[in-house]
Amino acid sequence: MPKAFLVDTTRCTACRGCQMACKDWHNLPAIETKQTGTHQNPPDLNPCNLKLVRFHEHKTKDNKVVWNFFPDQCRHCVNPICKDVADMAVPGAIIKDSQTGAVLCTEKCKELTADDVKAIITACPYNIPRYDEATKMLTKCDMCFDRVSNGLIPMCVKSCPTGTMVFGERAEILAEAKRRLEALKKTFPKAYLCDPKDVNVIFLLGEEKEHYYEYASFM
Amino acid sequence: MQSTRRSFLKGVGAGVLCLTLGQLGFDLTEAKAYAKELKIKGARAVTSVCPFCAVCCQIIAYERNGELISTEGDPDFPINEGSLCAKGASLWSMYTNKHRPTKPMYRAPYSDKWVEKDWDWTLDRIAHLVKEARDKDLILKNEKGQTVNRLETVFWMGTSHASNEECAAIHQSMKSLGIVSMDHQARV
Repeated sequence: MPKAFLVDTTRCTACRGCQMACKDWHNLPAIETKQTGTHQNPPDLNPCNLKLVRFHEHKTKDNKVVWNFFPDQCRHCVNPICKDVADMAVPGAIIKDSQTGAVLCTEKCKELTADDVKAIITACPYNIPRYDEATKMLTKCDMCFDRVSNGLIPMCVKSCPTGTMVFGERAEILAEAKRRLEALKKTFPKAYLCDPKDVNVIFLLGEEKEHYYEYASFM
Repeated sequence: MQSTRRSFLKGVGAGVLCLTLGQLGFDLTEAKAYAKELKIKGARAVTSVCPFCAVCCQIIAYERNGELISTEGDPDFPINEGSLCAKGASLWSMYTNKHRPTKPMYRAPYSDKWVEKDWDWTLDRIAHLVKEARDKDLILKNEKGQTVNRLETVFWMGTSHASNEECAAIHQSMKSLGIVSMDHQARV
């Protein structure tokens, strides 16, 4: 049975526990970064940050500031376009595990040319993969494949203190997503689920994706 | 950007459909090859407490051959139920960080250099300074002539992790010196 995540962004407080838990579990080092006028730090996903909480603020018509948080990560697509593109160049560079539904970059990524890498990165509708010059690897969230295949939940979900992130069987997560969406409609009339049929990391937004992140949802 | 991505996808999607079908069955073996052992497998699990705020989230520290492998929230602890914030989630990085001081650091008055010292020297130095300050500054009586025995030049910085009993012991020992200013680290 494929697994899925639900990310209810209306519950996220941007504590960034998930971002740090991901970094620590994958033994990724700290990187040099700069304050760019937002709490979003580092400014973008990179080989050392496979999970990143994105910050976005806007003013409503009645001059109130709305601050939205978007804990960005690979969506582990049901039909991953990155895998299709990679297979044209190096079959097996990106694979999809049939048990968990995890989309994984393998060591074969090192055989990809610069053009292949560019094509894969451009193809991702969610702007997720990043290229690591040092290891010649494509990097992105691996659904904590080692944990999940040993019966544990991904580290980001485990660390989440607000219940923003939930992990489980896809069928159950879809049902929970619909239940939460219905409940949220009262307080967030514009709430919607991002591409629930196509992805295994289902984001629940409180309003239009423009107020979260350009690549928050595809449809 | 969005529209170019979308049109690009349409073309690619149609082109690779037959390729993908032809490669069914390929996935499983590859995923098995990818699967690595859990890094915490066989490691000793020790419960500990996050050192930062007064919530005192419990953590599980995984240790192997005296080396810290990983840390994560303890799901059995009723306060945090396995979850952690960014500070608690980064304990492994904090512990293994090369910038983390592991010995007392001393900067002499007017010096611009930090020097490593051992605990014996450090505790002796603190004791001497407390005594010096107390001998010099202890206020025995206030303006009205009432006995106060107050030491206003020493500040006690405790910890939000202290239990009631520890707080009582700290409070009484500090009060016996006349110290009136006390707080814990989570508020600074």
